[in-house]
Amino acid sequence: MAIDKAILVTASVGNVPPTVRFYGWSPPAISLGYFQSLTDEVDIQACERFGVEYVRRITGGGAVFHEKELTYSIVVPESHPAIPKNIMKSYGRICGAVMNGLRHLGIDSEYAPINDIVTEGQKISGNAQTRKYQTVLQHGTVLMDVDVEKMFSVLKVPNEKIKDKLIADVKQRVTSIKHQLGKEISFQEVARAMTLGFEEEFHVELITGGLRKEEQVLAKQFEQECFSTTEWNHRR
Amino acid sequence: MQARSVYKVPAGKLLKISVDYDEKTFVIKEIGITGDFFAYPEEAIELLETRLKNTVIEKTSLLKKISSVITEYHIQFIGVDAASLTHGILMCKS
Repeated sequence: MAIDKAILVTASVGNVPPTVRFYGWSPPAISLGYFQSLTDEVDIQACERFGVEYVRRITGGGAVFHEKELTYSIVVPESHPAIPKNIMKSYGRICGAVMNGLRHLGIDSEYAPINDIVTEGQKISGNAQTRKYQTVLQHGTVLMDVDVEKMFSVLKVPNEKIKDKLIADVKQRVTSIKHQLGKEISFQEVARAMTLGFEEEFHVELITGGLRKEEQVLAKQFEQECFSTTEWNHRR
Repeated sequence: MQARSVYKVPAGKLLKISVDYDEKTFVIKEIGITGDFFAYPEEAIELLETRLKNTVIEKTSLLKKISSVITEYHIQFIGVDAASLTHGILMCKS
């Protein structure tokens, strides 16, 4: 989260070009939407038991358990001609890149507003966008595999009595690359497919690179001053 | 008096509202608006919570206050709107 924000800030002053990033999570973690209550959504004691971390995002949306997935982020100026001014349309455009990537893996999918991508009616990707300093940051998940039982061991359910039913419902509504293809696909393969997907959607060639010094310094600063703090994560 | 509501906005997102209000006057003392919705800019939600203090929990007053804050600060909500925020707050009134 700190790196995504660092890229956003650095790009907003024109010090880095539009950036697409692919990443995973170690250890597994829950990311919480900006407006969500941590104690409403996350079983903090269970997180400690299972070694799952948690962090509040700067984007809205729901709580996500990140484990077996590829997460992407894209940072691009609001003024970029490829990014619709209308927020919902821009979700659709960026999700188009993810859908292209999934197609390269042999999975047909469609955008399901507000912020999901579904295949055969089941969610395979969730996405969240913010706009700050005239710059768009959208990040999202591409589920490589999903363990719904584990997910609900760390996420709170509104009513323990219906937990089993909720798990069964979510199993019906959520899918993954592994489930769709009947085999495991490596992170690198998914990243390659997503690279092609973004290149096709935005008619660009992505150039591989690491974080610049300025981004690294900012990321460290944001981690220390914001994303690792109780003040930020428990603010709601 | 403290109260809480959970409201799934039709074709929208989940809204969870907690309110501390005066039992006699129904005036809001504190309010927390949480959920899996989107708002641009995000920080506007804290502003809305502050501005809702001292508002009576009554449909017209709430709708007017929320709409005026949305207009004044150019807030764009996705998954909730002034009407659903009003409805969620009214659900807290026993």
